[in-house]
Amino acid sequence: MKEELLMADAAFIGLSVLTVGSAIFALESREIIYGAIGLAVSMLGIAGFFILLDSPFVAMFQIAVYVGAVAVLVIFIVMLVRTEALFSATEDRGRRIAGLIFSLLMMVGIGVLLFSSIFSTAEFSPLMEKIVTKIGNEMLTYYSPVFILLGLTLAGAIIGALTLARREDSDQFTSASPQYKKIQVDKKAEEKEQV
Amino acid sequence: MATAPKDFRFGNFVGSLVWLIFWIIVIVSLVGLPLIFIIFFYIPLPYSNGEVITPYLFLSMIVDPTRTAPIIKFIIHTDFFRAAVFPGFAFAAMIAATTIYVERKFLAKMQLRTGPLYAGKIEGILQLIADGFKLISKEIIAPSGADKPIFWTTPIIFVATAAALTVLIPVAPGWVGADLDVGLLAIFAILGFFPLIALLFSWSCNSKYPFIGGLRALHQMIAFEIPFILSALSIVLLSGSLNLTDIVESQYSFWFFIIAPLSAFVFYISSLAELERVPFDLPEAESEIVAGWLTETSGMIYGLIQLGTYLKLYVLAALFVILFLGGWMGPQIFPQEIIPGYTGEKIYNATVINGIFWFTIKTFGMIMLILLPRGINPRIRIDILLHTGWYKLIVLAFINMFIVLAMIYGGVITPGGLQ
Repeated sequence: MKEELLMADAAFIGLSVLTVGSAIFALESREIIYGAIGLAVSMLGIAGFFILLDSPFVAMFQIAVYVGAVAVLVIFIVMLVRTEALFSATEDRGRRIAGLIFSLLMMVGIGVLLFSSIFSTAEFSPLMEKIVTKIGNEMLTYYSPVFILLGLTLAGAIIGALTLARREDSDQFTSASPQYKKIQVDKKAEEKEQV
Repeated sequence: MATAPKDFRFGNFVGSLVWLIFWIIVIVSLVGLPLIFIIFFYIPLPYSNGEVITPYLFLSMIVDPTRTAPIIKFIIHTDFFRAAVFPGFAFAAMIAATTIYVERKFLAKMQLRTGPLYAGKIEGILQLIADGFKLISKEIIAPSGADKPIFWTTPIIFVATAAALTVLIPVAPGWVGADLDVGLLAIFAILGFFPLIALLFSWSCNSKYPFIGGLRALHQMIAFEIPFILSALSIVLLSGSLNLTDIVESQYSFWFFIIAPLSAFVFYISSLAELERVPFDLPEAESEIVAGWLTETSGMIYGLIQLGTYLKLYVLAALFVILFLGGWMGPQIFPQEIIPGYTGEKIYNATVINGIFWFTIKTFGMIMLILLPRGINPRIRIDILLHTGWYKLIVLAFINMFIVLAMIYGGVITPGGLQ
């Protein structure tokens, strides 16, 4: 039991160093693409925290969404943008110190709140078996109205994005569209006439 | 070019080998053995049959074949062995290596060629080893202006990510590196790393053909990720679990291929696209953009990326077998006791051997099916590819999902088998 705790502590410290270190690297890196990679590694570290907290389901979605989709998007955009356009000014000393003080105050405030609340005396609940099944059951019973609402919102967003992205004039360039086939048929007819 | 020296004689070569072996024996017995004893003195020793394995006992057990069984059993049940050797990396790498040779011979036979012929006398069976030595001895050329840290690390991360996938594949009852409750999700989450790695590597080369190839890889993998996941989802509905072992065990009476053939088809096409194989090999289209995102690779960097690709091929073929073809399920063809009346520490387990046998046979069949289009199909255009992914495969996957849902609600089947 004690060895397990020690190992969890070591993993926690390692993950913390990884997450915070890569987050700082993401902010401080002059090369913007390294910053984006640092962001991806930081998100991976957060997924590691979820695994430590016995919620592999959330961890997998953290990896799939943040590393697999968001990081790809960020890096893809960064590659297409000139670095010089983004980094012209450097942060001056006063603002930097002010930022540090503000974030320290923030952390102390949150810490005081947490330690005075019920979370400081929270106990570990026993590990649930088949946690994924449980999540599925909850989603389709108690939370079903929220689930349906979220589904409708996402469907609306996707349909809206598709409508915005669809260009009427570019239809003829895809071979599968009816207009393209019509053009092909017309061309063939013309060729026949010429013969 | 390296050539043999003028005064080369085979006898000298053998003599030098014998000399080398002699010195190895001398050094091991004078330095190695005392060192092993010193190390064994300090590390905690495992128990076996109630007695502590001291170095003397360990060595006598190794010498005595009947007493080696507990040691081997102890080693093959450690997590490290499972991740690194048997269901994990080494097993997958062996299958990947075999696949490379089989692919070359198979395609050659299909196109009335001979394929590898000379290395190893019999049908060029040592061609792969020769290629491996060639790759190791070649110089790795980093293009000028390349982003060096990314250029050097991404191929290693590529192999590491592919190797991480192999740990999640169960090959027999209980034989899996990591038996996660969310195994299927974990596989898709890890597969999501590959577009990122391809994009980063292609960008770091600072060359136009790799970057075009990288962008194509990104488009293709993201377009086919959605039908990929959707096609696996109908199997999740059928088995009621995301755990790969549970999915296999819920196919004890029939294969899910019978109920979800459309999903199987979508899964097969999507895995072709995910693996960048013909007819979806646009990211490496050698007649259009030199070699796509692998243009600037040379030496072992190319070797690592190829190893990663073939590991991925094994994983996706194995995943198809697990989801649709019943995993390790098959008729019991191995006898329960290989030596009648032998009642020692059992190493031989008929059920496990049987499972591994059927799993390997099915996986190889599936790998051949993935290799097949390379011999018969031309490459397709990128707009047709994207059109196929977004319009057709997603719809097909949804149709099969609704069929499965209708069957479950209609009471024909329940999650976990026939009613």
